[in-house]
Amino acid sequence: MEALWLTVLGVLTVGYFALAGFDYGSGLLLALPRRDVSSRRIPFTLPHAHTRDETSRLVNPFFLGNEVWLVAAIGVLFAAFPRLEGELLSGAHSTFTLLLAGLVLFMAAVQLRLWWWLVFMGALMVSVGWGLFLAHLLEAPWPVAFVMPVLFAVHGWVFQNRCWKLFPVTAALCALPIPLAFSSIDVTGLMAHSDTLSLLAWVAIPIIPLVVVLQWSIVAISSR
Amino acid sequence: MSAVDLARLQFATTTSFHFLFVLLTLGLVTLLVVMQTRFTITGLPVHERMTRFWGRIYVINYALGIVTGIVMEFQFGLNWSGLSTYAGDVFGAPLALETLIAFFLESTFLGLWIFGWGKLNRWLHLALLYLTALTAFASAFWIMAANGFLQHPVGYRVDGNVLRLDDFGALLTNPTFTSALTHVVFASITVGGVFLTGVSAYHFIKRTPEADFFRRSLRMGVVTTALATPALIGAGFAQFPVIARYQPGKSEAAQWIGAPLGFMIIIGMVLTAVSWLTLPLLFKDAVIRMRFPLYLMVIGIPLPFVAAIFGWMFREIGRQPWLIYGLLRTEDAVSHVDASQILLSLVVFTFLFVVLTCVDWALIARAVRRGPDVAPAPVSPMVVTL
Repeated sequence: MEALWLTVLGVLTVGYFALAGFDYGSGLLLALPRRDVSSRRIPFTLPHAHTRDETSRLVNPFFLGNEVWLVAAIGVLFAAFPRLEGELLSGAHSTFTLLLAGLVLFMAAVQLRLWWWLVFMGALMVSVGWGLFLAHLLEAPWPVAFVMPVLFAVHGWVFQNRCWKLFPVTAALCALPIPLAFSSIDVTGLMAHSDTLSLLAWVAIPIIPLVVVLQWSIVAISSR
Repeated sequence: MSAVDLARLQFATTTSFHFLFVLLTLGLVTLLVVMQTRFTITGLPVHERMTRFWGRIYVINYALGIVTGIVMEFQFGLNWSGLSTYAGDVFGAPLALETLIAFFLESTFLGLWIFGWGKLNRWLHLALLYLTALTAFASAFWIMAANGFLQHPVGYRVDGNVLRLDDFGALLTNPTFTSALTHVVFASITVGGVFLTGVSAYHFIKRTPEADFFRRSLRMGVVTTALATPALIGAGFAQFPVIARYQPGKSEAAQWIGAPLGFMIIIGMVLTAVSWLTLPLLFKDAVIRMRFPLYLMVIGIPLPFVAAIFGWMFREIGRQPWLIYGLLRTEDAVSHVDASQILLSLVVFTFLFVVLTCVDWALIARAVRRGPDVAPAPVSPMVVTL
């Protein structure tokens, strides 16, 4: 049971970070100077750099995608690891305040599409927030926090430039740090009773592959 | 203020904002189901345009509402770690089922619906909307089951100093759950009806050239409100015997607790009376030619939202001082964090939620003003295809 629920939680977390990486990464890249379509090529800009408008259009189909994985992961954390959830989240209270504030800001700014720097700010707050959480889990000094924004930005760059060979590599780089750091926690005694776990297993196991297939179809349809 | 007071205030604020989004989402998706079903069967362009116009508003509201829900979910762990530690085995089950069965699937079906517009078989596309609506109400189902447990805990056994899940079925037949769920469902449908009526009335005030489009929408709004409100009030009053039996102290929990309850009941009665009075006036568009009622319809848009917040105030404040009635006191469930940290998050989230609600309002107002026929000009990246 323990291994099963750690796997479920791991899959959901990996799913979130793999999807969120290029979302927030693309947001972070908005700060880079942009090449105007009509102007000549400026050195040090991206070879296939998009306009800011194009960027948000490109990220479009993935947009709802990442947050549902986060919601599902926290839901599973609550029900399957009830003695861990509260301590884990309240132990990093201000980090999550920053992260969630960034999440709200990012969503509002993308929808509003008025000021690109608000989108950038939102993405920065979310990615630094995850970085701080990583540092908190590893008990590492705070500069470790910048690992996450850097990884997200690289992943965003790979996505925007359609380097599909590199894509799984950067996706894994974004996805793995937090689940790996999390795996250092000893969960014995923190999990729910098997009465709760077996009830939830009936639901979680069929639904996750179903969502993967459906989300994949969204991407396939929207690129058609 | 102490950490408990701040955490309670934060919960009340974020839940209230979140619920505004939830109400409109549930109300609109129900009406969209009717519109798109009509389009799929008849193939008439007016039904397609209605689905598009109201669907665009629905998607804007959904996308912005998601983030309020995420903050809500994190808040349990951030501020109320005592709840998960003590009752996570029981309370967590419906909560996790909501995230997995309902929200996880709902968003995915909705994504397919948005991006599949014009690209999928139209019966398949309709089926996606049905699934979105079904999972949206499943969301309400599980959340109310979780809330019902807090009002009247059932289906648990005490094991040392924690609760264990004993009888999951008992959670789903909990009387404080079933009666409140019906009330919430009809409240959201009422919101949908009042919203459709008010927005259509606005267009008639502005002398819209889209008379047929908004006549249909206005009729649909009025009829929906007239059908939903009696059921809403019935389900509301049906809760009093349940409260008298399981939470006898509810109306004495705070001195002023009767006030929000009273206002909610008055708003419910007014909406029922007004919608039934309007029904005969739909004949030969009398209500539109009179013009005066149109202004009332626009002013009426916030009423069901306000009533819903009052209703929740009565339900939640009336449960105090208990978080889980009779088992866990609110003050014992608050996380061991500094009051200053809770204050910081309270200030940040209240500010951001006010901004978010204004953005939602501004984007919806823009979509409303542009009317049914907007050429590609995307309202937001999410709805570029609608």
